[in-house]
Amino acid sequence: MKRLVAILELLWAIANLVIAYFFLTNAFVAKTAIKEGPPAQAALLLGGALIAVFAVVLARQSLQVLRGPLAAEG
Amino acid sequence: MGVAVRWLLVLAGLAIAAAGAYVSLAQAGSGTQPWDPELSDNFVFMRVLPFVLALGVVVGLFRAGGWKPTLRRGDEIRRFSPGTVIGHWIATIGFVLALPTGVWQYLGGILDVHLEFPLYLIYRLHYIGAALILFSVANFLAYWWVNGDRSLWVPRGQWRPHLVGFALELPRSLGARLAARLGLDLTQRPRPGQFTFYETAFSFPTWTFALVLITITGILKAMRYIYPIPGPVLLWASTLHVAAMVLLTLKVLDHLRYTLARWPLMVAMAKGWVSESALRRVLERTAPSIPRRVEPAVPASAPAGVAGGSER
Repeated sequence: MKRLVAILELLWAIANLVIAYFFLTNAFVAKTAIKEGPPAQAALLLGGALIAVFAVVLARQSLQVLRGPLAAEG
Repeated sequence: MGVAVRWLLVLAGLAIAAAGAYVSLAQAGSGTQPWDPELSDNFVFMRVLPFVLALGVVVGLFRAGGWKPTLRRGDEIRRFSPGTVIGHWIATIGFVLALPTGVWQYLGGILDVHLEFPLYLIYRLHYIGAALILFSVANFLAYWWVNGDRSLWVPRGQWRPHLVGFALELPRSLGARLAARLGLDLTQRPRPGQFTFYETAFSFPTWTFALVLITITGILKAMRYIYPIPGPVLLWASTLHVAAMVLLTLKVLDHLRYTLARWPLMVAMAKGWVSESALRRVLERTAPSIPRRVEPAVPASAPAGVAGGSER
């Protein structure tokens, strides 16, 4: 069960990394600057960076569980 | 309050909520309304919302009436009641529906990108998720209000030891930095109570803040078609709603990370029951960066509630 939960959490982390990618890349495109302005760009940049960091930490945690000897516990 | 009366209250709440939802949906589906599907869904959501909140309160009152302080079965203690476990799952489904759809609405608006299927379906899922979350908020607020359980709250005057415990749970460099900034003495390890210090000093307060923020801003945004909300208020509500969405995205990621690393906590939320010895190990592991004190984190003679047996 623990392994299954770790796989699901890894998938969730990957989905969040994709979201972070969209946040970060769109912070720099001209369309956002014209349509939303610098505050929205800064928000996208900060939000994207934070989501990426938290998603990477969760992904590492999930991988650690999947690789660990007690992965089948529970 | 007797069991029969409590059940009667819940059944009455369910019947009223179902009747409210039926009338609202029947009106929306009658074909006589001039609104497009997106606006129609918005009206349905706003009309159903009071019933959803009221149902949450009634269910919370029902659960509080049957609250038991401690239950034990051999080495296992009941950390969460079945109502709390179910309520947690309902909130989880709400987040799974509301967060991705909210992100899509936000990014879709910025990027001006549209999917093959109509946008109102995304909004519909978002409203369903939001309704489930609001039901959960009302449910847990009423439950905690009536049963008097404040174990997730930091007691008055206890913030400093809770912050010390929290700093000790963090990675060493981060904890030391926090301690230096707040002037905390990390040589004195406080004993955790029913929850870890990470949960009481950081996790629960930030969950509360993010949920309050997203609830208020979400309701303001949703009610703009039935009540004239001033433009600047609406602009701030929209901005803060997005900020709360990002905060909740981070909270979910952090919550999953924290509980996966402390598997008995995950088991407790899935089954309600948890092995006390496993839970004790989790609590003892919370501050590995300082020398272990002779006194165990949870005394062997302590009642189950000390280790988290007091159900919620």
